[in-house]
Amino acid sequence: MKKLLKSSLILSLVALLLCTAGCGKKEEGGNEGGAASYDITVWVSESDGVTDLTKEQIERFNAANEDIQINATIEGISESEAATQMITDVESGPDLYCFAQDQLARLVQAGALAVLGEGASATVKGANDAGAVNAATVDGKLYCYPLTSDNGYFMYYDKSVITEDMVDDLATLVKACEDNNKFFSMEYKTSAWYNAAFFFATGCVSDWKTDSEGKFTSVNDTFNSANGLTAMKGMEILAKSKAANSSSDGSDFSKGSAVVVTGTWALSTIKDILGDNMGVADLPSFTVDGQTYHLGSFSGNKLMGVKPQTDPEKASALQRLALYLTGEECQLERFNKFGWGPSNVNAQATDAVSSDPTLVALAAQNAYATPQGQIHGSWWDIAKVLGTVAETATSDADLQAGLDNYKAAIDALFSLNGYVFVGAWNDWNNADTEKAVMTQDGENITITLDVPQSDYMGGRIVAAGDWGTDMGCQQVVEGADLIVAYDAASNGDNNIIFLEPGNYTVSANLSSKEIKIVKN
Amino acid sequence: MEKTNNSKNISLFDDIGDLDLLQLTKFQTILYKIIHFFKGIPNGVASLFKYIFSLIKNFFVWIKNDLTDIVQTFVNGDYKTKLSFIIMGFGSIARGQILRGLLFLVFEIVFIVYMYVAGFHWLGKLPTLGTELPGTAYDPRLDTYVRVDGDDSFKCLLYGVLTILFILAFIYTWRLNVKQNKISEEILKSGKKLKSAKDDVSSLLDEQFHKTLLALPLTGIFFFTVLPILFMILVAFTNYDGAHDGYSNLFTWVGMDNFNSLFNLNLGANNLSVAFGEILSWTLIWAFFATFTNYFLGMFVAIMINKKGIKFKKIWRGILVLTSAVPQFISLLYVSKMFSANGLVNGMLLNTGIISDLSHIIRFWEDTTLARVMVIVINIWIGVPYLMLIVTGILMNIPADLYESARIDGANAAQQFFKITLPYMLFVTGPYLLTSFIGNINNFNVIYLLTAGGPDNPKLLTSAGTAGDTDLLVTWLFKITTGAESKYYLASVIGIMIFVVVSFLALIVYNAIPSTRNEEDYS
Repeated sequence: MKKLLKSSLILSLVALLLCTAGCGKKEEGGNEGGAASYDITVWVSESDGVTDLTKEQIERFNAANEDIQINATIEGISESEAATQMITDVESGPDLYCFAQDQLARLVQAGALAVLGEGASATVKGANDAGAVNAATVDGKLYCYPLTSDNGYFMYYDKSVITEDMVDDLATLVKACEDNNKFFSMEYKTSAWYNAAFFFATGCVSDWKTDSEGKFTSVNDTFNSANGLTAMKGMEILAKSKAANSSSDGSDFSKGSAVVVTGTWALSTIKDILGDNMGVADLPSFTVDGQTYHLGSFSGNKLMGVKPQTDPEKASALQRLALYLTGEECQLERFNKFGWGPSNVNAQATDAVSSDPTLVALAAQNAYATPQGQIHGSWWDIAKVLGTVAETATSDADLQAGLDNYKAAIDALFSLNGYVFVGAWNDWNNADTEKAVMTQDGENITITLDVPQSDYMGGRIVAAGDWGTDMGCQQVVEGADLIVAYDAASNGDNNIIFLEPGNYTVSANLSSKEIKIVKN
Repeated sequence: MEKTNNSKNISLFDDIGDLDLLQLTKFQTILYKIIHFFKGIPNGVASLFKYIFSLIKNFFVWIKNDLTDIVQTFVNGDYKTKLSFIIMGFGSIARGQILRGLLFLVFEIVFIVYMYVAGFHWLGKLPTLGTELPGTAYDPRLDTYVRVDGDDSFKCLLYGVLTILFILAFIYTWRLNVKQNKISEEILKSGKKLKSAKDDVSSLLDEQFHKTLLALPLTGIFFFTVLPILFMILVAFTNYDGAHDGYSNLFTWVGMDNFNSLFNLNLGANNLSVAFGEILSWTLIWAFFATFTNYFLGMFVAIMINKKGIKFKKIWRGILVLTSAVPQFISLLYVSKMFSANGLVNGMLLNTGIISDLSHIIRFWEDTTLARVMVIVINIWIGVPYLMLIVTGILMNIPADLYESARIDGANAAQQFFKITLPYMLFVTGPYLLTSFIGNINNFNVIYLLTAGGPDNPKLLTSAGTAGDTDLLVTWLFKITTGAESKYYLASVIGIMIFVVVSFLALIVYNAIPSTRNEEDYS
């Protein structure tokens, strides 16, 4: 039917040809010599050589699986950018793509990831470390394939400036940098991924919960606390120093940095610059009010995902390809070529991997690391500004004000949660949950509202801020005598209209959509 | 200052005749103009409303006349005309104008088929933008999950709008068809012959040639300009974002909710009005300085180089133009790195001993005022050469005898500049100034590539993240669109607000610049 609609459109609007021809679906799965052939697009890291290696690996996959012929177009897209680009247009996005863990919830919510089949789930769970499996899971379901277990950061330093006995204390390191006119590079004010290290050090947490669709439902965030204030003071040690440089670029070593906090991906750059002078260590500790805190960090993974397909054969082929590309053999290959830390437990057990100095430093840091779960996308934009607060603050009150603003912004992300009975009584404001007092208990919501006398005493129950979630009026099981159930098919509204003004208690069940109305 | 005494009893708040105006001092004249500008605002607004009202009135009058005309055509027409009301083109065919008639008929058939097959489908989806969510299904044989297509809000909106436009086009064509019958009847009554198909075709290459030429460009403008703009405006009234992308999760109409977040102060950290106000004011400051520093410095440089007695003119020009030989975004990125805390400039200062240690490093991009000054200065560097080239051309066009007679009258260089060069320049480049001011309001490149909007301002922190002190509205819009939640609807709202600001300024300035008022002055 859809095809028919489309072609008729082309027929009638001849000029549309120009537009629609571009999006016309490619025919897939033509059988040639028994092998099903698929044209797919793959996005991998834009780092040097990754696309070439992926190409080789896919060719090997083709050779090993005679029933499948994959013709891949491989493009290099940064793993931190991939999600943004994917979400822009899921329909024409790549079939297979790699992304950093923090993007997972967004992608699930945008429907850009296909859930793994049961067999594939079991394989992934068996082959990868627990952290990696957890990172690929949303609400109990595995949505993607762990690619690396090295998405964390630690400290690189220049041995000609920093000696090994200095690497344990932040203040000592900062002082050594200042004395030698060198920079201390850490993205303390341009990325929340890095400046959260200070908060994790003092025991602050930011735990986010999602529902099965990737939508965030609640957060336990303790950044705005006494411990958070301590963390801010710790951040001041770095932020207020003249040596501070908010960057995580490995090439900073050639631009006057003696310390750079970054991850395994910068290894080759730094090795080229420092040679034998390169030192790696876990992050230092900082001391505030006589107490010492070891800097925390995020530990996470890079993941590979498959876009949901309508053709099960193709979906299955892509699933097999993704399993292969994230399997032991391919992960080891990437480790050997680029130093990417494997998530595959067998690969991790090999001597080369377990003795790799950067991975050893990462492992040392991992003892203090917080596994990166699903975090609200906006949090990264909100929390990074805390670095600027630490830098510009002139008193503890300024630090506290920064934390208060932070908390307010986080809370505002959830102010649109809950349900609201919109109508004339609250000016049809579906973001205003205050005028209709609501309590929620699991699936059951109860709303108390005053219906004033007006020409149109009607309204409907929707999720706050979301008109698309109309509860309808068809299933009023109690109190039908108090209202007119009204279904205006013309504009799709299903309004409940009260027969007389007064104070009402409306309770509804979110799954059965049953509504009860009682006049108080 | 005798004149001041004379003009004492003239009130600046009253309307003053031309003669009295001449008596005022310069300061008073300016004051008088400012006062009258503001005095004129209520009248201006009132006349604007009157104009809009008369437009609406005219529209209804026009509709009324048109409907009467249609009815009269039907009542007075013969059976061919009457049948044409239902079967488009019937009259034309019956009267021998086969080609015209066929075109009408084919259009009608295409329209009916389209509406039946697809049009009503999309039209029905438009009020809700889709109701059927796409789902997933498990394929146990292959152990995979597959997508089951549902509605796509994006397509519902796009094709819904297209269908409405198609219906409007049909109504227009139907009206044309009716009119055609009326005209044909009149021509036949007067005893003349109707045009043949051959005449029609040849007229497209002759007296109707403009239509032939414009057909393609107009189609292009419709699909690549009008339709996207219409679509984007509609997006501002939906909740289209990363989480409601239309393909996987439907989006829907939300009325004015999105504008609410800009103007409703009760939303706490969801309210963007403070950030919007701050960014708007910096945007205007930036646009003002970026435009006028470039303008006057460019003019200055051009006059200097143009001066008699300056040697190696071509070399000076060549050196300046070199900045535009390198693509702007490359030079901007490079300059951005150059001025960073660990960049080339600070490195040089350190190495030459001008600054002794790290504590004296200049953090160009990390201090609000410094960053703002830097973007304006760097903008001068890349903008002046263009201005210089434009101005050089205009300078050579100013009649030399003007200067000659000025010199004979004893005018000095400054007087010549302010009385001859500048007025001439403002006259010729007035529209350019306006467009470059608007261009600077939307100058994404310079700001984003140099500072990416930074340094971040903690005071502007909202639930949509924070904005920086050098952010323009357009870079902020970019951050929101590409940010964590991809809030397309908000970007669309900000886009509309930018349009309002820009069109407001453009209309005022356009009416004020001399180029549009005194066309004769310099011809």
